[in-house]
Amino acid sequence: MKKSIGDNMIPKDWGFDRGLDLIKKAGFDGIELWLGDVPWFQMSTSDSEVRELRRKVENAGLVVSNVSTGLHWGSPLSARDPRVRAQAARIVERQIETARLLGSDAILVVAGLVTDEVPYNEVYQRCLDALRPLGEAATRAGVKIGCENCNSEQRFLISPREFWQFLNDVNRPAVGIHLDVGNIHDTGFAEQWIEMHGPRITRIHLKDVLKHRGRCGDQSVYTNLFLGDNNWPAIRAALTKVGYDGWLIAEMEARYRYAPDQQFYDTAQAMDRLISGRL
Amino acid sequence: MTRRQFLATTAAAVSAGNRLRGRVPCVLLDLQRDSLRESVAGYAAGFQPRVVRADMPEIPPCAVLLVPAALEISPLAARAIVRCLHAGATAILESAAGFLDERAFCAQRTVLQDYFDINAEPPVQLWPRQTPYVDYLWPYAAKLRDFSRVVPLGGQAGERIAWVDRLPVALKRGSGRGTLIFLGSPLGPALWAGDVEARGWVSAVLATAS
Repeated sequence: MKKSIGDNMIPKDWGFDRGLDLIKKAGFDGIELWLGDVPWFQMSTSDSEVRELRRKVENAGLVVSNVSTGLHWGSPLSARDPRVRAQAARIVERQIETARLLGSDAILVVAGLVTDEVPYNEVYQRCLDALRPLGEAATRAGVKIGCENCNSEQRFLISPREFWQFLNDVNRPAVGIHLDVGNIHDTGFAEQWIEMHGPRITRIHLKDVLKHRGRCGDQSVYTNLFLGDNNWPAIRAALTKVGYDGWLIAEMEARYRYAPDQQFYDTAQAMDRLISGRL
Repeated sequence: MTRRQFLATTAAAVSAGNRLRGRVPCVLLDLQRDSLRESVAGYAAGFQPRVVRADMPEIPPCAVLLVPAALEISPLAARAIVRCLHAGATAILESAAGFLDERAFCAQRTVLQDYFDINAEPPVQLWPRQTPYVDYLWPYAAKLRDFSRVVPLGGQAGERIAWVDRLPVALKRGSGRGTLIFLGSPLGPALWAGDVEARGWVSAVLATAS
Protein backbone atom coordinates (compact mmCIF):
# COMPACT_ATOMS: atom_id res chain seq x y z
CA MET A 1 0.00 0.00 0.00
CA LYS A 2 1.10 3.55 -0.66
CA LYS A 3 0.66 6.66 1.44
CA SER A 4 -0.87 9.92 0.28
CA ILE A 5 -2.23 13.08 1.85
CA GLY A 6 -4.46 15.87 0.57
CA ASP A 7 -3.06 19.15 -0.70
CA ASN A 8 -5.80 20.83 1.32
CA MET A 9 -3.78 19.83 4.39
CA ILE A 10 -0.95 22.12 3.35
CA PRO A 11 -0.91 25.11 5.71
CA LYS A 12 -2.68 27.99 3.99
CA ASP A 13 0.30 30.32 3.97
CA TRP A 14 2.77 27.74 2.68
CA GLY A 15 1.96 27.46 -1.04
CA PHE A 16 2.03 24.38 -3.23
CA ASP A 17 5.79 24.05 -3.75
CA ARG A 18 6.67 24.24 -0.07
CA GLY A 19 3.79 21.86 0.70
CA LEU A 20 5.10 19.29 -1.78
CA ASP A 21 8.50 19.48 -0.16
CA LEU A 22 6.99 18.83 3.25
CA ILE A 23 4.87 15.93 2.00
CA LYS A 24 7.90 14.26 0.45
CA LYS A 25 10.09 14.82 3.50
CA ALA A 26 7.40 13.42 5.78
CA GLY A 27 7.55 10.17 3.86
CA PHE A 28 4.47 10.16 1.68
CA ASP A 29 4.46 8.58 -1.79
CA GLY A 30 1.77 10.74 -3.29
CA ILE A 31 -0.59 13.65 -3.01
CA GLU A 32 -4.35 13.93 -3.34
CA LEU A 33 -5.33 17.07 -5.25
CA TRP A 34 -8.55 18.79 -4.23
CA LEU A 35 -10.25 20.51 -7.13
CA GLY A 36 -11.77 23.79 -5.99
CA ASP A 37 -10.44 23.60 -2.44
CA VAL A 38 -6.99 25.10 -2.94
CA PRO A 39 -5.93 28.20 -4.86
CA TRP A 40 -3.66 26.32 -7.27
CA PHE A 41 -6.34 23.88 -8.50
CA GLN A 42 -9.65 25.44 -9.45
CA MET A 43 -12.29 24.77 -12.09
CA SER A 44 -10.73 27.67 -13.98
CA THR A 45 -7.23 26.14 -13.87
CA SER A 46 -6.23 25.47 -17.48
CA ASP A 47 -4.94 22.19 -18.86
CA SER A 48 -1.46 23.61 -19.22
CA GLU A 49 -1.53 24.80 -15.60
CA VAL A 50 -2.68 21.33 -14.53
CA ARG A 51 0.26 19.82 -16.44
CA GLU A 52 2.50 22.22 -14.59
CA LEU A 53 1.08 20.95 -11.28
CA ARG A 54 1.94 17.42 -12.37
CA ARG A 55 5.45 18.47 -13.26
CA LYS A 56 5.91 19.98 -9.81
CA VAL A 57 4.50 16.87 -8.11
CA GLU A 58 6.82 14.59 -10.06
CA ASN A 59 9.83 16.86 -9.54
CA ALA A 60 9.17 16.56 -5.83
CA GLY A 61 9.40 12.77 -6.14
CA LEU A 62 5.68 12.22 -5.69
CA VAL A 63 2.72 11.12 -7.81
CA VAL A 64 -0.92 12.20 -7.77
CA SER A 65 -2.89 9.49 -5.99
CA ASN A 66 -6.31 10.84 -6.99
CA VAL A 67 -8.40 13.93 -7.66
CA SER A 68 -10.96 14.85 -5.03
CA THR A 69 -13.31 17.77 -4.61
CA GLY A 70 -15.50 19.40 -2.02
CA LEU A 71 -17.41 21.33 -4.66
CA HIS A 72 -20.29 18.87 -4.65
CA TRP A 73 -21.33 20.01 -1.18
CA GLY A 74 -22.42 23.27 -2.82
CA SER A 75 -23.39 21.85 -6.21
CA PRO A 76 -24.67 18.33 -5.65
CA LEU A 77 -25.53 15.85 -8.37
CA SER A 78 -28.83 15.43 -6.55
CA ALA A 79 -29.94 19.07 -6.77
CA ARG A 80 -33.45 19.76 -7.99
CA ASP A 81 -32.30 22.68 -10.11
CA PRO A 82 -31.15 21.26 -13.45
CA ARG A 83 -28.58 24.03 -13.81
CA VAL A 84 -26.95 23.05 -10.52
CA ARG A 85 -26.96 19.40 -11.60
CA ALA A 86 -25.33 20.34 -14.88
CA GLN A 87 -22.62 22.19 -12.99
CA ALA A 88 -22.16 19.19 -10.68
CA ALA A 89 -21.73 16.88 -13.66
CA ARG A 90 -19.26 19.33 -15.19
CA ILE A 91 -17.22 19.19 -11.99
CA VAL A 92 -17.02 15.39 -12.26
CA GLU A 93 -16.07 15.65 -15.91
CA ARG A 94 -13.31 18.11 -15.03
CA GLN A 95 -12.10 15.76 -12.32
CA ILE A 96 -11.88 12.97 -14.89
CA GLU A 97 -10.06 15.23 -17.36
CA THR A 98 -7.60 16.47 -14.79
CA ALA A 99 -7.01 12.99 -13.37
CA ARG A 100 -5.84 11.96 -16.82
CA LEU A 101 -3.66 15.03 -17.15
CA LEU A 102 -2.18 14.34 -13.73
CA GLY A 103 -1.50 10.68 -14.44
CA SER A 104 -4.02 9.38 -11.92
CA ASP A 105 -6.77 6.84 -12.41
CA ALA A 106 -9.18 7.77 -9.62
CA ILE A 107 -11.43 10.58 -8.51
CA LEU A 108 -13.56 11.16 -5.42
CA VAL A 109 -17.18 12.24 -5.70
CA VAL A 110 -19.69 13.07 -2.97
CA ALA A 111 -22.61 11.62 -4.84
CA GLY A 112 -25.70 13.20 -3.32
CA LEU A 113 -27.06 15.15 -0.39
CA VAL A 114 -30.27 14.28 1.40
CA THR A 115 -31.80 17.34 3.06
CA ASP A 116 -35.12 18.25 4.59
CA GLU A 117 -35.88 19.86 1.24
CA VAL A 118 -34.68 17.14 -1.15
CA PRO A 119 -35.80 13.70 0.03
CA TYR A 120 -33.92 10.45 -0.08
CA ASN A 121 -35.77 8.77 -2.95
CA GLU A 122 -35.18 11.75 -5.23
CA VAL A 123 -31.50 11.88 -4.31
CA TYR A 124 -31.07 8.16 -4.96
CA GLN A 125 -32.70 8.31 -8.38
CA ARG A 126 -30.90 11.48 -9.43
CA CYS A 127 -27.53 10.06 -8.44
CA LEU A 128 -28.18 6.95 -10.51
CA ASP A 129 -29.14 9.09 -13.48
CA ALA A 130 -26.03 11.23 -13.10
CA LEU A 131 -23.51 8.49 -12.41
CA ARG A 132 -24.45 6.16 -15.24
CA PRO A 133 -23.27 8.44 -18.07
CA LEU A 134 -20.40 9.76 -15.96
CA GLY A 135 -19.37 6.17 -15.31
CA GLU A 136 -19.23 5.57 -19.04
CA ALA A 137 -17.16 8.70 -19.53
CA ALA A 138 -14.83 7.52 -16.77
CA THR A 139 -14.46 4.12 -18.43
CA ARG A 140 -13.46 5.78 -21.68
CA ALA A 141 -10.88 7.85 -19.81
CA GLY A 142 -9.53 4.90 -17.84
CA VAL A 143 -10.51 6.54 -14.55
CA LYS A 144 -12.48 5.16 -11.58
CA ILE A 145 -15.14 7.24 -9.87
CA GLY A 146 -15.07 6.61 -6.13
CA CYS A 147 -18.27 7.72 -4.42
CA GLU A 148 -17.31 8.65 -0.89
CA ASN A 149 -19.27 7.38 2.08
CA CYS A 150 -19.95 10.65 3.84
CA ASN A 151 -22.62 8.90 5.85
CA SER A 152 -23.69 11.35 8.52
CA GLU A 153 -22.97 14.55 6.62
CA GLN A 154 -24.66 13.27 3.45
CA ARG A 155 -27.51 11.45 5.22
CA PHE A 156 -27.34 9.10 2.25
CA LEU A 157 -26.25 5.47 1.83
CA ILE A 158 -25.76 5.04 5.54
CA SER A 159 -25.11 1.31 5.68
CA PRO A 160 -22.63 -0.82 3.71
CA ARG A 161 -25.39 -2.96 2.26
CA GLU A 162 -27.28 0.13 1.10
CA PHE A 163 -24.11 1.41 -0.58
CA TRP A 164 -23.54 -2.00 -2.16
CA GLN A 165 -27.07 -1.98 -3.60
CA PHE A 166 -26.54 1.57 -4.87
CA LEU A 167 -23.41 0.54 -6.76
CA ASN A 168 -25.29 -2.44 -8.17
CA ASP A 169 -28.00 -0.08 -9.37
CA VAL A 170 -25.48 2.29 -10.94
CA ASN A 171 -24.08 -0.81 -12.62
CA ARG A 172 -21.02 0.78 -14.17
CA PRO A 173 -17.69 -0.94 -13.52
CA ALA A 174 -15.90 2.42 -13.32
CA VAL A 175 -18.07 3.53 -10.39
CA GLY A 176 -17.00 2.24 -6.99
CA ILE A 177 -16.54 3.45 -3.46
CA HIS A 178 -13.94 5.81 -2.07
CA LEU A 179 -14.08 4.45 1.44
CA ASP A 180 -13.49 6.78 4.36
CA VAL A 181 -12.91 4.71 7.47
CA GLY A 182 -13.55 7.71 9.72
CA ASN A 183 -16.94 8.67 8.31
CA ILE A 184 -18.81 5.68 9.62
CA HIS A 185 -19.05 7.10 13.14
CA ASP A 186 -21.27 4.99 15.37
CA THR A 187 -23.43 3.62 12.57
CA GLY A 188 -21.19 0.66 11.80
CA PHE A 189 -17.69 -0.68 11.55
CA ALA A 190 -15.13 0.30 8.93
CA GLU A 191 -13.75 -3.24 8.70
CA GLN A 192 -17.17 -4.51 7.66
CA TRP A 193 -17.42 -1.90 4.92
CA ILE A 194 -13.99 -2.99 3.65
CA GLU A 195 -15.04 -6.63 3.61
CA MET A 196 -18.29 -5.98 1.83
CA HIS A 197 -16.90 -3.68 -0.86
CA GLY A 198 -13.45 -5.23 -1.39
CA PRO A 199 -12.73 -4.97 -5.11
CA ARG A 200 -15.00 -1.97 -5.56
CA ILE A 201 -12.85 0.19 -3.27
CA THR A 202 -11.10 2.78 -5.43
CA ARG A 203 -9.18 4.58 -2.66
CA ILE A 204 -9.25 4.73 1.15
CA HIS A 205 -9.34 7.85 3.27
CA LEU A 206 -7.77 7.41 6.68
CA LYS A 207 -8.72 9.28 9.78
CA ASP A 208 -9.84 8.34 13.23
CA VAL A 209 -13.17 9.16 14.77
CA LEU A 210 -14.40 9.87 18.25
CA LYS A 211 -17.73 8.14 18.06
CA HIS A 212 -19.42 9.80 20.97
CA ARG A 213 -18.67 13.46 20.51
CA GLY A 214 -20.22 16.08 18.25
CA ARG A 215 -20.50 15.73 14.51
CA CYS A 216 -18.17 17.78 12.34
CA GLY A 217 -16.83 21.27 11.75
CA ASP A 218 -16.21 23.04 15.03
CA GLN A 219 -17.51 20.02 16.95
CA SER A 220 -15.29 17.69 14.96
CA VAL A 221 -15.46 14.03 15.78
CA TYR A 222 -12.46 13.41 13.57
CA THR A 223 -9.00 13.09 15.00
CA ASN A 224 -5.57 11.80 14.27
CA LEU A 225 -4.91 8.13 13.60
CA PHE A 226 -5.01 5.92 16.70
CA LEU A 227 -6.54 8.62 18.93
CA GLY A 228 -10.15 7.72 18.18
CA ASP A 229 -12.44 4.73 18.34
CA ASN A 230 -11.70 2.97 15.04
CA ASN A 231 -10.58 -0.62 15.50
CA TRP A 232 -7.33 -0.36 13.54
CA PRO A 233 -6.22 -3.99 13.92
CA ALA A 234 -9.59 -5.05 12.51
CA ILE A 235 -9.31 -2.51 9.68
CA ARG A 236 -5.79 -3.74 8.85
CA ALA A 237 -6.96 -7.36 8.89
CA ALA A 238 -9.90 -6.54 6.62
CA LEU A 239 -7.56 -4.83 4.14
CA THR A 240 -5.46 -7.98 4.05
CA LYS A 241 -8.52 -10.17 3.72
CA VAL A 242 -9.85 -8.33 0.66
CA GLY A 243 -6.38 -7.94 -0.83
CA TYR A 244 -6.44 -4.13 -0.89
CA ASP A 245 -3.05 -2.89 -1.98
CA GLY A 246 -3.93 0.58 -3.20
CA TRP A 247 -3.60 4.10 -1.90
CA LEU A 248 -4.24 5.07 1.71
CA ILE A 249 -4.91 8.80 1.87
CA ALA A 250 -4.70 10.73 5.10
CA GLU A 251 -7.55 13.15 5.63
CA MET A 252 -7.25 14.97 8.93
CA GLU A 253 -10.06 17.40 9.71
CA ALA A 254 -8.61 18.63 12.98
CA ARG A 255 -5.27 20.34 12.41
CA TYR A 256 -2.39 20.83 14.77
CA ARG A 257 -2.77 24.27 16.30
CA TYR A 258 1.00 24.67 16.46
CA ALA A 259 3.81 23.19 14.37
CA PRO A 260 1.43 22.19 11.56
CA ASP A 261 4.20 20.43 9.66
CA GLN A 262 4.57 18.00 12.55
CA GLN A 263 1.12 16.55 11.76
CA PHE A 264 2.42 15.40 8.38
CA TYR A 265 5.35 13.50 9.96
CA ASP A 266 3.19 11.99 12.69
CA THR A 267 0.50 10.94 10.23
CA ALA A 268 2.98 9.36 7.82
CA GLN A 269 4.54 7.38 10.65
CA ALA A 270 1.16 6.23 11.92
CA MET A 271 0.30 5.08 8.40
CA ASP A 272 3.57 3.15 8.25
CA ARG A 273 2.57 1.37 11.45
CA LEU A 274 -0.83 0.55 10.02
CA ILE A 275 0.62 -0.76 6.78
CA SER A 276 3.19 -2.86 8.60
CA GLY A 277 0.55 -4.19 10.97
CA ARG A 278 2.53 -3.23 14.08
CA LEU A 279 -0.49 -2.13 16.06
CA MET B 1 -54.89 7.01 -0.86
CA THR B 2 -57.76 5.77 1.31
CA ARG B 3 -59.99 2.84 0.35
CA ARG B 4 -62.78 5.27 -0.43
CA GLN B 5 -60.52 7.33 -2.69
CA PHE B 6 -59.31 4.18 -4.41
CA LEU B 7 -62.84 2.96 -5.11
CA ALA B 8 -63.90 6.38 -6.38
CA THR B 9 -60.86 6.56 -8.62
CA THR B 10 -61.43 3.08 -10.00
CA ALA B 11 -65.11 3.71 -10.65
CA ALA B 12 -64.33 6.96 -12.40
CA ALA B 13 -61.68 5.24 -14.50
CA VAL B 14 -64.13 2.57 -15.63
CA SER B 15 -66.72 5.20 -16.42
CA ALA B 16 -64.18 7.25 -18.33
CA GLY B 17 -63.12 4.16 -20.24
CA ASN B 18 -66.65 3.79 -21.54
CA ARG B 19 -66.56 7.33 -22.86
CA LEU B 20 -63.16 7.07 -24.56
CA ARG B 21 -64.18 5.41 -27.79
CA GLY B 22 -62.09 6.68 -30.67
CA ARG B 23 -59.69 8.58 -28.43
CA VAL B 24 -56.26 7.77 -27.08
CA PRO B 25 -56.59 7.54 -23.29
CA CYS B 26 -53.47 9.50 -22.47
CA VAL B 27 -50.91 11.48 -24.47
CA LEU B 28 -47.74 13.07 -23.12
CA LEU B 29 -46.47 16.14 -24.93
CA ASP B 30 -42.71 15.95 -24.50
CA LEU B 31 -41.22 19.45 -24.57
CA GLN B 32 -37.78 17.82 -24.57
CA ARG B 33 -35.05 20.31 -23.61
CA ASP B 34 -37.72 22.76 -22.58
CA SER B 35 -38.85 20.57 -19.69
CA LEU B 36 -37.48 18.86 -16.59
CA ARG B 37 -36.57 15.44 -17.88
CA GLU B 38 -37.24 13.66 -14.61
CA SER B 39 -40.82 14.92 -14.67
CA VAL B 40 -41.29 13.57 -18.18
CA ALA B 41 -39.82 10.27 -17.00
CA GLY B 42 -42.12 10.24 -14.00
CA TYR B 43 -45.34 10.69 -15.97
CA ALA B 44 -44.16 8.36 -18.73
CA ALA B 45 -43.34 5.56 -16.30
CA GLY B 46 -46.42 6.05 -14.19
CA PHE B 47 -49.15 6.28 -16.79
CA GLN B 48 -47.85 4.70 -20.02
CA PRO B 49 -49.02 7.60 -22.22
CA ARG B 50 -48.47 7.84 -25.93
CA VAL B 51 -45.53 10.24 -26.20
CA VAL B 52 -45.60 13.03 -28.78
CA ARG B 53 -42.58 15.25 -29.29
CA ALA B 54 -43.19 18.96 -29.10
CA ASP B 55 -41.46 19.66 -32.39
CA MET B 56 -44.01 17.53 -34.23
CA PRO B 57 -47.14 18.00 -32.16
CA GLU B 58 -49.69 16.11 -34.21
CA ILE B 59 -51.55 15.12 -31.08
CA PRO B 60 -54.17 12.45 -31.67
CA PRO B 61 -57.63 12.92 -30.15
CA CYS B 62 -57.14 12.08 -26.50
CA ALA B 63 -58.90 12.07 -23.16
CA VAL B 64 -55.89 13.30 -21.22
CA LEU B 65 -52.93 15.40 -22.29
CA LEU B 66 -49.91 15.56 -19.98
CA VAL B 67 -47.43 18.41 -20.33
CA PRO B 68 -44.73 17.75 -17.71
CA ALA B 69 -42.60 20.43 -16.06
CA ALA B 70 -42.54 23.04 -18.80
CA LEU B 71 -39.57 25.38 -18.87
CA GLU B 72 -40.44 26.91 -22.21
CA ILE B 73 -43.64 26.47 -24.18
CA SER B 74 -43.28 27.25 -27.86
CA PRO B 75 -46.23 28.76 -29.74
CA LEU B 76 -46.39 25.50 -31.72
CA ALA B 77 -46.76 23.46 -28.54
CA ALA B 78 -49.17 25.95 -26.99
CA ARG B 79 -51.46 25.80 -30.03
CA ALA B 80 -51.40 22.02 -29.92
CA ILE B 81 -52.44 22.04 -26.26
CA VAL B 82 -55.25 24.50 -27.00
CA ARG B 83 -56.50 22.27 -29.85
CA CYS B 84 -56.66 19.34 -27.44
CA LEU B 85 -58.60 21.39 -24.91
CA HIS B 86 -61.07 22.52 -27.56
CA ALA B 87 -61.52 18.89 -28.59
CA GLY B 88 -62.53 17.98 -25.04
CA ALA B 89 -59.31 16.73 -23.44
CA THR B 90 -58.28 17.21 -19.86
CA ALA B 91 -54.84 18.80 -20.04
CA ILE B 92 -52.45 18.78 -17.08
CA LEU B 93 -50.05 21.62 -17.74
CA GLU B 94 -47.21 21.54 -15.26
CA SER B 95 -44.94 24.56 -14.97
CA ALA B 96 -41.30 24.35 -13.91
CA ALA B 97 -40.87 28.08 -14.40
CA GLY B 98 -39.67 28.37 -10.84
CA PHE B 99 -36.30 27.19 -12.14
CA LEU B 100 -36.04 29.82 -14.85
CA ASP B 101 -34.28 33.14 -14.80
CA GLU B 102 -36.43 36.25 -14.90
CA ARG B 103 -36.32 36.69 -18.65
CA ALA B 104 -37.27 33.08 -19.40
CA PHE B 105 -39.99 33.19 -16.78
CA CYS B 106 -41.49 36.28 -18.39
CA ALA B 107 -41.56 34.44 -21.72
CA GLN B 108 -43.44 31.53 -20.17
CA ARG B 109 -45.80 33.89 -18.35
CA THR B 110 -46.66 35.54 -21.65
CA VAL B 111 -47.45 32.18 -23.27
CA LEU B 112 -49.57 31.14 -20.28
CA GLN B 113 -51.48 34.42 -20.48
CA ASP B 114 -51.89 34.55 -24.24
CA TYR B 115 -52.84 30.94 -24.93
CA PHE B 116 -54.39 29.73 -21.67
CA ASP B 117 -55.53 32.92 -19.95
CA ILE B 118 -53.48 31.92 -16.90
CA ASN B 119 -52.17 34.72 -14.74
CA ALA B 120 -48.91 33.46 -13.20
CA GLU B 121 -47.07 35.38 -10.51
CA PRO B 122 -43.25 35.42 -10.22
CA PRO B 123 -41.78 32.20 -8.81
CA VAL B 124 -41.39 31.74 -5.08
CA GLN B 125 -38.50 29.92 -3.43
CA LEU B 126 -40.18 27.92 -0.65
CA TRP B 127 -37.19 26.86 1.39
CA PRO B 128 -36.26 27.06 4.18
CA ARG B 129 -39.69 26.15 5.52
CA GLN B 130 -41.09 23.90 8.23
CA THR B 131 -43.17 21.39 6.29
CA PRO B 132 -42.34 20.08 2.82
CA TYR B 133 -45.88 19.80 1.49
CA VAL B 134 -48.33 21.40 -0.89
CA ASP B 135 -51.97 21.00 0.16
CA TYR B 136 -54.14 19.73 -2.68
CA LEU B 137 -57.90 20.03 -2.26
CA TRP B 138 -59.24 18.36 -5.40
CA PRO B 139 -60.09 15.64 -6.46
CA TYR B 140 -59.38 14.74 -2.87
CA ALA B 141 -57.37 16.36 -0.14
CA ALA B 142 -53.73 15.34 -0.17
CA LYS B 143 -50.43 16.58 1.12
CA LEU B 144 -47.83 16.13 -1.62
CA ARG B 145 -44.20 17.14 -1.52
CA ASP B 146 -43.30 20.55 -2.81
CA PHE B 147 -40.57 20.90 -5.42
CA SER B 148 -38.69 23.78 -3.81
CA ARG B 149 -39.93 26.52 -6.12
CA VAL B 150 -43.49 27.25 -7.16
CA VAL B 151 -45.31 29.47 -9.60
CA PRO B 152 -48.21 31.05 -7.70
CA LEU B 153 -51.39 32.09 -9.43
CA GLY B 154 -52.76 35.59 -9.58
CA GLY B 155 -56.45 36.46 -9.48
CA GLN B 156 -58.38 34.75 -12.29
CA ALA B 157 -61.30 32.51 -13.12
CA GLY B 158 -61.20 28.85 -12.14
CA GLU B 159 -61.05 26.68 -9.06
CA ARG B 160 -57.87 26.87 -7.02
CA ILE B 161 -57.05 23.28 -6.14
CA ALA B 162 -53.74 23.51 -4.29
CA TRP B 163 -52.13 25.89 -1.83
CA VAL B 164 -48.74 26.30 -0.30
CA ASP B 165 -47.90 28.85 2.37
CA ARG B 166 -51.22 30.59 1.62
CA LEU B 167 -50.38 30.86 -2.09
CA PRO B 168 -52.60 29.23 -4.72
CA VAL B 169 -50.40 27.05 -6.92
CA ALA B 170 -52.81 24.92 -8.94
CA LEU B 171 -55.94 25.64 -10.88
CA LYS B 172 -58.79 23.75 -12.57
CA ARG B 173 -60.86 25.46 -15.19
CA GLY B 174 -63.09 24.57 -18.12
CA SER B 175 -61.40 25.42 -21.40
CA GLY B 176 -63.08 24.85 -24.75
CA ARG B 177 -64.86 21.52 -24.38
CA GLY B 178 -62.10 20.30 -22.11
CA THR B 179 -60.57 20.99 -18.73
CA LEU B 180 -57.29 22.71 -18.03
CA ILE B 181 -55.42 21.77 -14.88
CA PHE B 182 -52.44 24.00 -14.22
CA LEU B 183 -49.85 22.84 -11.70
CA GLY B 184 -47.44 25.49 -10.45
CA SER B 185 -45.52 22.95 -8.39
CA PRO B 186 -44.23 20.04 -10.50
CA LEU B 187 -45.36 16.56 -9.43
CA GLY B 188 -43.55 14.59 -12.13
CA PRO B 189 -40.26 14.40 -10.19
CA ALA B 190 -42.13 12.88 -7.24
CA LEU B 191 -43.71 10.32 -9.59
CA TRP B 192 -40.25 9.57 -10.96
CA ALA B 193 -38.90 9.08 -7.43
CA GLY B 194 -41.67 6.60 -6.64
CA ASP B 195 -43.91 8.79 -4.46
CA VAL B 196 -47.03 6.68 -3.93
CA GLU B 197 -49.20 9.57 -2.78
CA ALA B 198 -48.33 11.67 -5.82
CA ARG B 199 -49.16 8.79 -8.11
CA GLY B 200 -52.48 8.22 -6.39
CA TRP B 201 -53.43 11.88 -6.66
CA VAL B 202 -52.52 12.16 -10.35
CA SER B 203 -54.37 8.90 -11.04
CA ALA B 204 -57.45 10.37 -9.44
CA VAL B 205 -57.15 13.49 -11.59
CA LEU B 206 -56.79 11.39 -14.74
CA ALA B 207 -59.83 9.39 -13.76
CA THR B 208 -61.96 12.53 -13.85
CA ALA B 209 -61.24 13.00 -17.56
CA SER B 210 -64.24 12.40 -19.78
